[in-house]
Amino acid sequence: MLAELINPYYLQVLSFILINIILGISIYITLSTGQLSLGHAGFMGIGAYTSAIVTINYDLPLIVGILLGAIVAGLTGILIGLPTLRLQGVYLAIATLGFGEVVRVLFINWEGMTQGAVGISSIPHIGRELVTGLRDTGFTADMIGIRSNQLISVLVFLILLVVTILLISFFVRQHRSRVGRAFAAIKMDESAAEAMGINITYYKVLAFAQGALVAGFAGALYAHITAYISPSDFSYHRAVEILIFAVFGGSEVIAGPIFGAIFLTSMPELLRDVSEYRYMIYGVILVAMMAFRPQGLIDYNMIHKLKRLRKKKDQKTIDEKESKRHDIGS
Amino acid sequence: MGNVFKGLLAVIAVFTLALMSACGGNSETSGEQSDGSGDGTVDVKVGVISWLTGAGAGYGEAITNGFELANTEIKEEGKVNIELITEDSAGKQEQALSSAQKLMNSENVSMILGPTLSTEMKVVAPEADLNGVPIMGTSTTASGIPQIGDYVFRNSIPESLAIPAAVSSAVEKYDAKKVAILYGNDDVFTKSGYDTMKKVAEEQGLEVLTTETFQKGQADYNAQLTKIKDTKPDLILCSALYNEGAVIMDQARKMGIDVPFVGGNGFNSPEVIKIAGDAANGLIVATPWFGGSEDEKVQTFVDKYKEEYGNEPDQFAAQAYDALYILADAIERAGSDDRDAIRDALAETEGFEGVLGEMSFDEEGDIVMEPTVLTIKDGKFQPFE
Amino acid sequence: MLLEQLINGLTLGSIYAIVALGYTLVFGVLGIINMAHGEIFMFGAFMGVVVTHTLQLPLALAFLVAIAVTAMLGLFLELIALRPLRGKKGVSHLAPLISTIGVSIFLENLAHHFFGAGNRPFNTSFSQLSIQIGSVTIYAVQLVIFAIAILLMISLSFWLSKTKAGKALRACAENLEAASLLGVNTKKMIMLTVIIASVIGGIAGVLVGMAFNSVTPQMGLSMGLKGLAIIILGGMGSVRGAMVGGLILGLSETMIVVFGESGYRDAIAFIAIIIILLVRPQGLFGQPVTEARR
Repeated sequence: MLAELINPYYLQVLSFILINIILGISIYITLSTGQLSLGHAGFMGIGAYTSAIVTINYDLPLIVGILLGAIVAGLTGILIGLPTLRLQGVYLAIATLGFGEVVRVLFINWEGMTQGAVGISSIPHIGRELVTGLRDTGFTADMIGIRSNQLISVLVFLILLVVTILLISFFVRQHRSRVGRAFAAIKMDESAAEAMGINITYYKVLAFAQGALVAGFAGALYAHITAYISPSDFSYHRAVEILIFAVFGGSEVIAGPIFGAIFLTSMPELLRDVSEYRYMIYGVILVAMMAFRPQGLIDYNMIHKLKRLRKKKDQKTIDEKESKRHDIGS
Repeated sequence: MGNVFKGLLAVIAVFTLALMSACGGNSETSGEQSDGSGDGTVDVKVGVISWLTGAGAGYGEAITNGFELANTEIKEEGKVNIELITEDSAGKQEQALSSAQKLMNSENVSMILGPTLSTEMKVVAPEADLNGVPIMGTSTTASGIPQIGDYVFRNSIPESLAIPAAVSSAVEKYDAKKVAILYGNDDVFTKSGYDTMKKVAEEQGLEVLTTETFQKGQADYNAQLTKIKDTKPDLILCSALYNEGAVIMDQARKMGIDVPFVGGNGFNSPEVIKIAGDAANGLIVATPWFGGSEDEKVQTFVDKYKEEYGNEPDQFAAQAYDALYILADAIERAGSDDRDAIRDALAETEGFEGVLGEMSFDEEGDIVMEPTVLTIKDGKFQPFE
Repeated sequence: MLLEQLINGLTLGSIYAIVALGYTLVFGVLGIINMAHGEIFMFGAFMGVVVTHTLQLPLALAFLVAIAVTAMLGLFLELIALRPLRGKKGVSHLAPLISTIGVSIFLENLAHHFFGAGNRPFNTSFSQLSIQIGSVTIYAVQLVIFAIAILLMISLSFWLSKTKAGKALRACAENLEAASLLGVNTKKMIMLTVIIASVIGGIAGVLVGMAFNSVTPQMGLSMGLKGLAIIILGGMGSVRGAMVGGLILGLSETMIVVFGESGYRDAIAFIAIIIILLVRPQGLFGQPVTEARR
């Protein structure tokens, strides 16, 4: 029964969707202070390469590697963020674009560490490592009646799911906290926020570094799921793709980039016929969204409406119950 | 906002369940292994992963055409009945991996052919190997691919075989001692070609005067070429894909560099002549595929291919065509669609006669064959003597 | 050899400068960065291929067709991607950037679809003409490119500073609303700017095709990013800055090959962006950015 239910293909697609959700969150955080970054592919690459290199060359455990990848990307975010955040709007976007390209060229030329354009292969795979680990403790896939590749896919998927949910819940909480309100104030009007006593530099660097950290984290996960990375995985196109998640889904609420990532990642899987036009469609989406709905598909209003709708429904059912009770009573 | 979070969880959960149940319907075929139907033919499902949309769609098209042409002929022979299930990877690792999972788990194929790129292969092959599904690359030439595992094969000639053949022929003919190297450093293919070139130059005791690089999308190679011209090499070893390579030759000839160029596998395409014209004369490449060969087998293939698809087959089509024949041969010997049986039979392939020549697999699953060295002379590819 | 390399650098630099002129014009007037400029440039180059190679027609016609087609693209860009965003309440200043990125992706893939991924050759005997001075060969194409770059710069400067239309354009650049109040037809002026910028890109495309015989759908991206680097280096909105920045980048890219690592050639532009933004954000020739502009 279980063996027939678990199909590694769907789990694989879901795993990539989850990684893209994490990437979508990373750009959402940066955007939540009104900063546009085109350097997220660079941060993702830093996370991926750091984790791959330390786990292969220094035999560090996977979890340490992934965390290290995220931290190094986050630190780079602070390093890049501090000076560049003096820049605003388009200047920042282009500086980060330049940063992303420099990172890629560095990966290509720093052959001793990164093996250049050939890329790093046989990176330890999260699922395979875990299954080998479990086997040592005496647990095998047969014991629950599934094949070992099914177990691998399930484990990868579950880990990613838990991680993603934790990240989402953290940032939902942050959004409601003092930090989240500061972010929103800065996005609305920087000068006004400053006049209200918000430390703009601190919060902007914080948002930028958080975005970089999360992108690096996603990159590290990516490296340990595909088991192979090369510099071309972290090019300008990747940065644009990440940006599209937020632009399409919406960058006002966290549900926006999540929806964007889910929809845009599953779209080519569901509609393989149109995949030839996939990038043309991406282009059209960007233009159309900016013209008709610059805040993205999902925005505050929509969430509010949904909530009100639900409340109304709840109210209705309560009313109905009440009236029924009255009927019985009368 | 807490509700938003809960709502999100619900969405994810529903999403997961929907897909999970969808796969329940799809995996009916699992566990069903037929040992041939009644009339002695073996029925086999073979998955193909190819780059069919986007920048490299041309490669994927040639490859799938090669497979289809071979499959029609094999079906006519009637010994094995192969059902090809083709998936598009769009040249992306993630999509190639998803496709492979789909083929292995939903379609339950006995064997995978492809994917197109070495980068995709490096992601897909470990997964296939782990699942015990034999996989054969028909266009993946980077080093280290058959070494991934026992179930990983390729019939495309690696650069480590092609480049030494071309270099030594050229060195012999022109009595070359000093060479300049030019390569694309941001591409897997050209970079690993360069690594081989460097090794070959060392082994043959050639003096490397200068090593220059270029990057994708670059249009101006004058700076590098002027520098190379100044060092006066006897030969230029150039690891480039034909698109860039043709432009490099064009700019070099204009500048007055008239020494021969030695290229890798990716430099070998009739397109070079189309793009560079007369400037392409003097290119030397080693290739498994020579469409101008007198061989009868080759000529029938070329004619049939032209009739079917309207253009000349390139090496990708030829390699795919031979790959399916090698596979059919192995399946026939295995006598079933069992994955392990096919793997064992494939590994035993020896002295197979295809349009590319005589092919065998070594113990790692890499191809063993003699490449032909070609040169461009008077505007067309000719055997190099 | 050094002399030849200098010529190489100047040729490349002139092309960069022409591409950057298009960027700087749009930024100067509209205050936005047109990320689709590189792709319009690429379409110009492909028009050259279609005319000279596919149709076997003379080179002069290639320029005319490229100018016509890129002017059309400029018009569409303005009507579809830029005008709908203008003056709308609540649209962030990043919207045009994202929307032009959309156009650039669309155009790149459209070119893939029409022309294929491969390299298309240019077919013109003009690129063979050369003059031999001592040991140095100079090609007519190189001279033409240099001359066109200088010519474009001078006429653009003249047009902006001396003619009525140019003055109106600068008035728009200064303050759109005020210009409109003073009777400048801002709608028309903006459209004119985008079209002129696109046409300059188209001309650059044909020149690149002539000089290097290399036209691919991907060329727009790499040239576009270089152009961006140049206007940041030279100062956004400055015509002189675009010219000088282009030449500096062209020469330094050539020199890094001569003296050192050709592998880092592509990185120069981006390292330059980062350094200049940190040290002198307004660029070499630009005016300090005012808060209102952003």
